[in-house]
Amino acid sequence: MMPSVEWAHRLLHFGLLRSASLMVPGAVRAEWWREWRGELWHVRQTCTPTGAASWQGEREVTSFCLGAFQDALCIRRAGGQPKLSLAELIGTPSQCMLILLSMLAACYTVALLLPGVRAERSLWPRKVNPNLVMIENVGTSNDSTPTILPTQFNAWEGRKQKYFDGFAFYRVRQEAVELDLVSVGSLPRSTWGVAHASSNLFTLLGLPVRFADSEVTAGNREQQIILSEKVWKRDFGADPHVAGIQVHLGQRTARIAGVAPDGSLGLPGKVDAWLLGPDAEVRAENPERGYVVAHLTAVGAAEMWTQCVNITANGPDESEEDFLGVSLEEWRPAPMVIYLFALLLALLALPAITTVSLGEYSLNPQKTSWSRKLYRWSFLSAKIALLLPIVYFVSLDLAYGFTTIGRERPVYIQLICTFAMCLFGMRWVLKDQRQRCPVCVRLVTHPAQVGQASRTFLDWNGTEMMCMGGHTLLHVPALPTSWFSTQRWLYLDTSWQFLFAGSTRHIP
Amino acid sequence: MVIELKLQDTKLSHTAAMILQALDAGFVYGFSIMEMTGLPSGTVYPAMRRLERDGLIRSHWEKQSIADAEQRPPRKYYKLTNAGKVTLDASRRRYPLLERLIPTEEAKSV
Repeated sequence: MMPSVEWAHRLLHFGLLRSASLMVPGAVRAEWWREWRGELWHVRQTCTPTGAASWQGEREVTSFCLGAFQDALCIRRAGGQPKLSLAELIGTPSQCMLILLSMLAACYTVALLLPGVRAERSLWPRKVNPNLVMIENVGTSNDSTPTILPTQFNAWEGRKQKYFDGFAFYRVRQEAVELDLVSVGSLPRSTWGVAHASSNLFTLLGLPVRFADSEVTAGNREQQIILSEKVWKRDFGADPHVAGIQVHLGQRTARIAGVAPDGSLGLPGKVDAWLLGPDAEVRAENPERGYVVAHLTAVGAAEMWTQCVNITANGPDESEEDFLGVSLEEWRPAPMVIYLFALLLALLALPAITTVSLGEYSLNPQKTSWSRKLYRWSFLSAKIALLLPIVYFVSLDLAYGFTTIGRERPVYIQLICTFAMCLFGMRWVLKDQRQRCPVCVRLVTHPAQVGQASRTFLDWNGTEMMCMGGHTLLHVPALPTSWFSTQRWLYLDTSWQFLFAGSTRHIP
Repeated sequence: MVIELKLQDTKLSHTAAMILQALDAGFVYGFSIMEMTGLPSGTVYPAMRRLERDGLIRSHWEKQSIADAEQRPPRKYYKLTNAGKVTLDASRRRYPLLERLIPTEEAKSV
């Protein structure tokens, strides 16, 4: 298991226990935390021994940590504590930060674990040459169907081209594969989708071959085979020293030259391995149709329109045929681009669902220091800073976590999820901030109804809440009027402190 | 005497009886009881809180020096009280298979 994944798990487990500990009454919290932390150490030692990669073990540890919530609730009920309110759970700034951090750790871990998100992440830095096109017959309705005859390809490659300066051909066939057992161990005979490709295919695509060993392949007359990431992991256990292993494909023998970058080809056809050979050999075998990748010259690129180019070419019998060159560059925007776009939309829509004001502040008799003001604004900034990556990872989990929903739908799912979560998340951030005491930044509690709507005349009716630190009262009008339109903070002077004996804290 | 009679009559759930049996068999901390009984942490720990509240088990912390010597955090150990032993006897009569699930003698010999 990768160290980063292991640390993400550790962070997740720590966050889960910390979150559960918030539900335990303060008097017994320290002992509860000590016991669970100690037990977690032993559980981890048993389920994930050092040096062993075990997803199953991590799952067991996570399941153990989730049990802490039931235990915490049990202790809370046994202590006769009332039901948890939001103010108690995230009342202090540190509790709020801890919960947001735990959520972030959980979302990030889920993103690391979901295979769909992992596969998508491997595509993100993808840079495909925009001048690369896949040539197909105009009449074809399915991009994954091979449409080009080897004779057509021969005719194009044999002529001097104005619009293209490179071609590569490949065709996919299911073949029984036998591996060199001495090198790999007892692997069963299996069937791969083998793409018989021109030797210049990877050069044309500009793709590096991973784990290639020049000493193994140099001077070797055997054909070279490049494995897909899937086969490399499935049949070779992701062995980085895979280059040089002999593979038997029917009557033919080939040597593994390396591993193709995961998902970075984006070419049609279900390919498990790429068998590179001399062009004449690839084409001369039989007349089966295949795929043609071509590189446009500057003149050809100028003819591109909406990632397509119309091609009229002479066939081997000099008859004119129409083809379509479709760019290999993904039309799909990167997840970060979608995220930023949805975030912008959400920020624009935010004033429509909540006020962006943080409320009126009456004159403070004990002037609040600059450090407290800075602390309050830092807390608001930290909440936003944590909310944004949470939204990002949750949107990735939802959009790309399920690989069965096609290639285009995730874009829309991510857009909608990000927009909704940013919009309502920012609304929560502002609402939460409005209900935090400007002095100690704790959530105000104990709402009390004040006044009656029918008797409001130059007065107000609404809800009054208090800071448990005894610093402020918050007045929220039920009916905004011209003399009381928005919430107000009332700073309490020292004469109120006897009401909050034991809970007041002096804050500079 | 009245208290003892009341305890003998205490009807424990099968889960609580299994935990008492596991403690009696020598599995003295939460995770070992989980492993022995196959119960999840969300069941074992709350059940042990209730048993401790009812005076059937009691807990104590391992000495820090022992944990330090073995380079690990200290554990909280649980032990049956006299009342717990009486209740366990009653539970064994109620659940005859309990001893076969977690054999006391074997565990102690191990």
